[in-house]
Amino acid sequence: MEEIILKTTDLTKKYNNKAVVDNLNLEIRRGEIFGLLGPNGAGKSTTMNMICSIVTPTAGSIELLGKNPRKQKKEVIHKIGYIPQELAIHGNLKAWENVELFTSLYGIKGEELKSTVNESLEYVGLLERRQEFAKNFSGGMKRRLNIACAIGHHPELLIFDEPTVGIDPQSRNFILDKIKESNQKGATVIYTSHYMEEVEAICTRIAIMDNGKIIACGTSEELKKLVNNEKEDITLEEVFLTLTGKKLRDYAE
Amino acid sequence: MIRYLIKNNFKLMFRNKWSIVVMLLGPVLVIAVLSSAFSELMKSYESVEEFNVGYRVESESMVSGYIESIREAGKEAGITFYEYKEGNPEELMAKHDLAGFVKFTKEEYVLYQSADDEVEGMTLEYFLDRVMSENVNVSLQMMNATRQNDVELPVQELEFMPAINAVDYYGIIYIVYFSWCGIICATGVFSNEKKYGIERKFRVSNVSEMKLYLGKFIPINMTVVGGMGISTIITVLLHGVHWGKPLLSAMIIFGMILAGNAFGMMLYQLSKNLAITIIVQFTIVWILGFLGGSFETYMFSSTPDFLKHLSPIYHGNRALVELSCMGQSEYVGSAIVYSLVITAICSAIAILAGEMRKRGRA
Repeated sequence: MEEIILKTTDLTKKYNNKAVVDNLNLEIRRGEIFGLLGPNGAGKSTTMNMICSIVTPTAGSIELLGKNPRKQKKEVIHKIGYIPQELAIHGNLKAWENVELFTSLYGIKGEELKSTVNESLEYVGLLERRQEFAKNFSGGMKRRLNIACAIGHHPELLIFDEPTVGIDPQSRNFILDKIKESNQKGATVIYTSHYMEEVEAICTRIAIMDNGKIIACGTSEELKKLVNNEKEDITLEEVFLTLTGKKLRDYAE
Repeated sequence: MIRYLIKNNFKLMFRNKWSIVVMLLGPVLVIAVLSSAFSELMKSYESVEEFNVGYRVESESMVSGYIESIREAGKEAGITFYEYKEGNPEELMAKHDLAGFVKFTKEEYVLYQSADDEVEGMTLEYFLDRVMSENVNVSLQMMNATRQNDVELPVQELEFMPAINAVDYYGIIYIVYFSWCGIICATGVFSNEKKYGIERKFRVSNVSEMKLYLGKFIPINMTVVGGMGISTIITVLLHGVHWGKPLLSAMIIFGMILAGNAFGMMLYQLSKNLAITIIVQFTIVWILGFLGGSFETYMFSSTPDFLKHLSPIYHGNRALVELSCMGQSEYVGSAIVYSLVITAICSAIAILAGEMRKRGRA
């Protein structure tokens, strides 16, 4: 049986008594690319933030690599690579300086740090632009640099929170290829997105989340069977809309 | 890892050029403008040429028992007192070339000043103010207690404004003032962290609040120390500002820089808002400067003593000014202790606030 790398049990987060994440139960196995789909305000980012110990759960528990990330943060936090939805890079630092800074936070230093910085930049195709300031990069380049800043310490679990928002198709393809490459090298990936085709293309299992709950979970094929057994060419987007409804979502997470 | 935090925070600060320019040029320009503009007013503090003053002690005057002590103190301040038991003060001043005349009545004194000797008149006024407000009161209490009429005034404890010129005065107090505003150098770091949501990245790492704090505190202080050092050298070379006991003066300034930056970082850690931090810090520093003599030509005059002593800027100003003009000061110790205590308390609060915020979220 595959090792469970992440398990949440009745995970709940409330803001002003309103549950943003509501008794969430998830199990993610080592080696998967796990997609988390959901409309705005579904609770995806809050879930990711709780897994990364950025946000405290109101109730429930998280088990990450067999440990409690709140109580044993030092033992597990360096095994996570977190790529947040909003870019988290210093505009006034050069590309290599950004990677050096964020990689050094995990205790890597000296020659090892230098080679790791170059490896990370090469990995995201920015090695030749290493001397340029991040503020001068295009949206796609910033996204790639954001990834480079999170992978230098070779994490076992990579968490991508909507990493392809607002970028061109070339950059998007590049990022998706790199996610698959990381996975092939052994990293487990959690991937949240609004883009159905992306999730369908790279994820081994997908969970659809709405109003803080998982309303469906399985492979792409399993999800399609859930909602329509008659139509053969049903898309994941149709599954998504069927399960979550067509009503506009104007929440802010 | 702290090495990389410090290194990159340095880069962020130096790439925010305007704040560095403000820190470097601010004191140089302010010192140049104010020392020039107030040089006339400040003449009252310049080395006073000895001058003569007439006086008369009326019967039952409160100073009658120790006028000799006042004369002796006056001599130390360059003021020679001559007694005139009779005659019109104005006529006596004109006739004997006196810079002023003091009539000690039963409960007060009347001061006559000459328009031709304005500087000496102000010096005399200040001298009398200090003597009458502090030491005479002490002596009067002693008199009441002992019922003696010949209590000797403790001359060595008389506080009169040390001789200092406008260039030295402003050259010193504005280095102190700007040392307290050094947090402006950190705007490059704070604004970048806020703008780009960097704190979340820090949370997903093993870096402690203490290291995050020191990662900013050390480079900010080094930058401000460098900036103030350059400003001081420029003002010494351009304006000839004279500092007394350079090593001791540097220690006092260093303490002020630490305290100012620790205070600013605490404000930022509590508010997480750069605008609020700058506004609150500058307002408080302005108030402390106001109490501490940063904006008046008469550093020790118009503010009540207990308020002045509350201001760490007063201790720094006073210590540095006295070191400059007298070569020693009783305020050195309090200036340094004040700074270190503020640094320790504000740093502890900042780290604690960061830890609590982290625990609140994580």
